[in-house]
Amino acid sequence: MKNRLRVLRAERDWSQADLAQRLEVSRQSVNAVETGKFDPSLPLAFKLARLFETTIEEIFSDEN
Amino acid sequence: MNCTTNNPAAKRFMRRNLITLLLYALSLAFSISVFLHFHPTGVLAYLLAVLPAIPLTGLLAIFGLYLAEEKDEFQRSIGVQSMLWSIGGTLAVTNIWGFLESFVHLRHLNPILDAVIFWIFMGISLPFLLRRYR
Repeated sequence: MKNRLRVLRAERDWSQADLAQRLEVSRQSVNAVETGKFDPSLPLAFKLARLFETTIEEIFSDEN
Repeated sequence: MNCTTNNPAAKRFMRRNLITLLLYALSLAFSISVFLHFHPTGVLAYLLAVLPAIPLTGLLAIFGLYLAEEKDEFQRSIGVQSMLWSIGGTLAVTNIWGFLESFVHLRHLNPILDAVIFWIFMGISLPFLLRRYR
């Protein structure tokens, strides 16, 4: 699954560690999601959407 | 649980593990000492023989508790993957050893070592899996 996390982070000048702190997860978790190696659960996806004040579809998109 | 995490669930896991390992060492020393000096028989012998296995089994329960308490779903996923590798690795090693024992009379592998093999695989697989997501 593709995502725009890196862009959204950069817009706010947040490091992976900053985002991890806001999400209350580890930095490795943010990195794994951002690099597409780990697909987040719906609750985490909603948390991301709330944090970036957008929708899940604006952050994640199906690769097909 | 992993060495890069300092969240409350991981800290609790480490603390519980250390206490349980200490209990294991104490119960093992106690059982050995009683068997050496008092040669127990009957039910007492069975109970003393099983005593060190209780904390070792407890380690698995503690890991299950960690998985239940870990709020970071990615870390939980790593823990589950690591456990699956460890179960698979332990089964593979003991299976291969079993056939070697049967056919080429390799030295008997005491099933007590199954737990040791399992935790060795956990120790190996965890950093290996974390490397993939670095």
